[in-house]
Amino acid sequence: MSSSPRNYQNYSDLLWVLVWKNVTLRYKQSRLGLMWLILRPLMLVGIFMVVRGFVGIDSGQVPYALLTYCAMVPWTFFQEAATDGVGSVVGHANLIKKIYFPRVIFPLASLLTKAVELIVGLAILALMMLWFRWVPGWQALWVVPILLYTMLVALTISLAGAALNVFSRDLSQGVPLLLGLVMYLSPVMYPLALVQRALLEHQAAGPSSSFLYTLYTMNPMVGVISSMQRCLLEDVPPDWAVLLPGAAMVAVLLPLSYLFFKRAEAYFADVI
Amino acid sequence: MSERTPDANGQPVIEVKNLTKAYRLGVLESFRTTAKRLLGRAVDKQRQFKALDDVSFSIQPGEVVGIVGHNGAGKSTLLKHLCGITTPTSGSVTVRGRVAPLIEVGAGLIGELSGLENIYLNGVILGQSKADIDAKVDEIIEFSELADFIDTPVKRYSSGMQARLGFAIATSIDADILIVDEVLSVGDLAFQRKCFERMDQLLRRGGKTVLFVSHNLRQVERLCSRALLLDHGKLLLDDTSSVVCESLFERMQGIASARTTVNTRIESTGEISLCGIEVSSDDGRLVDSIRSGQSLKVTVEFSSSATIEQPSIIIGTHTPDYIYINAGSSATEAERPDIVPGVHRVSYEIPAFPVIPGVYLIRFSVYDGNHRPVFLGESLSSFMVTPSSGEIQKAGMRLIEIPGRWSL
Repeated sequence: MSSSPRNYQNYSDLLWVLVWKNVTLRYKQSRLGLMWLILRPLMLVGIFMVVRGFVGIDSGQVPYALLTYCAMVPWTFFQEAATDGVGSVVGHANLIKKIYFPRVIFPLASLLTKAVELIVGLAILALMMLWFRWVPGWQALWVVPILLYTMLVALTISLAGAALNVFSRDLSQGVPLLLGLVMYLSPVMYPLALVQRALLEHQAAGPSSSFLYTLYTMNPMVGVISSMQRCLLEDVPPDWAVLLPGAAMVAVLLPLSYLFFKRAEAYFADVI
Repeated sequence: MSERTPDANGQPVIEVKNLTKAYRLGVLESFRTTAKRLLGRAVDKQRQFKALDDVSFSIQPGEVVGIVGHNGAGKSTLLKHLCGITTPTSGSVTVRGRVAPLIEVGAGLIGELSGLENIYLNGVILGQSKADIDAKVDEIIEFSELADFIDTPVKRYSSGMQARLGFAIATSIDADILIVDEVLSVGDLAFQRKCFERMDQLLRRGGKTVLFVSHNLRQVERLCSRALLLDHGKLLLDDTSSVVCESLFERMQGIASARTTVNTRIESTGEISLCGIEVSSDDGRLVDSIRSGQSLKVTVEFSSSATIEQPSIIIGTHTPDYIYINAGSSATEAERPDIVPGVHRVSYEIPAFPVIPGVYLIRFSVYDGNHRPVFLGESLSSFMVTPSSGEIQKAGMRLIEIPGRWSL
């Protein structure tokens, strides 16, 4: 197919109209509307606060609710963008079978839809900081690149996942389950400092402690969440040592994921 | 309107070379096989079905080309390749220009969104930019006659309204190559006429290359300069539309005669049973097709096990969709013998059978003197009516031909 600049214009229009459609559809005929966006993270924060009442999680100087919600915002964004992205191609089967345009538009539209919803999450976070009189400093500007990086993390999963899901619907069942578990392997409910203290200072797992810690930080969301908290709540730049292992993972896996998607794309219409 | 005008480079807009598309038969393949295939490894050969088999042709800019063939001939698969939805198993497809598929009317409408929102959504999905749609939206609303309902969610539309909206959007698309896959007329009669006009306009709009898929051979013959005949995935014929359509008529004849007994409907008291039906032409030869306007003679042979007094025998024809064309009753004959036990032959001759080309079926019934039905049979045998000379010049949209005179 020809790919004139005009096509690009049309494809980007298509992308944005799909995003607008996704956002609109989710809240048509729903009374609570946008409230649903913040209900889930807020309820989880509530549950964490109850749990913390029993087990005692040290959140340092930062109010625990603020610390967890600050982790919840990028986490929810990531989880929903990845989950939605995995189902995005199959969800548009009727279009896939009828019309050609670059299929990558579907996972991208899912991602951008969640990015629009992320704005609401960030607004609530701002209100919370106002409530706790927690004033961010200049380091808060890091939030923008961090959230862009979070998009890449989500795409790593959603591209390959969306393509595989066409061939086997197990992905759209398995990925949400898996990500629900990974949340507990990410410093959402507890601060990263606790993990560092246990594994780096106390060597809690014996000689393999450092290795385990590196393994832990290979989860890119560890770096994302820790950076969000540092920049917004502690006014210090991201900890590059925490970000690096995860970023290396993304740097390797994202291109592979994209190539896989492009390769599988040709079979979508036949198999879906 | 559709002379073959090569563009500046003299290149065809569509070039299909040795296109073959094979689908694997069977249910889902295993995850492992899929993974292997995606990684580019060799997988075991499975049973394959060739939806397209070594098809080659090219189309010049501005041509209006019909694609005809029976169900399952590969028409839709071919269109999918031209739209870039699927990739060939082997061979190549080159398309130079923007393709707009006029897909099934209303396929992409989303119920929760309003009519206006759907116009934008479907427009961009069909490859238009937002600016294009801005320019056309009023025309689309006007054409669909939905101005009062345009802010209502589409799920509250009647199916006719949805179809109207879908048709209005689909036919507003602007592209170098239009692919029209049997976009049927929708809605009430007045809107149907609008649809026909719109399709005609689209097909005749200068400079556009149009691929037109239809089962309506007369429409193809009328609108297209050239046609491709597909059969079981093979390109059988690539010629002017009249030659191709004629050939398809002839092929249909073979299929029709093979299908004669499939849908036969008979209700009988048992007194009469059918032995055979023959169709013969002017010269008395037995035939299975006649030319439009030629004479038609139907001979029915039946056996009777009882005596039927003052019978009326009816021989008539109907179309495959049960539009009864004509029927002659022997009740109009003053002299008619009773049916006595034994085998009988009756025949009914029509000097000129002036229907349009197509497949027709024969019905035969017998009533006794009290008008009690003894034997009722429909779709008993079929025959073909082929075009008489000059069929292309004749008007479309008719069923029979009644001679008339012009003064111009």
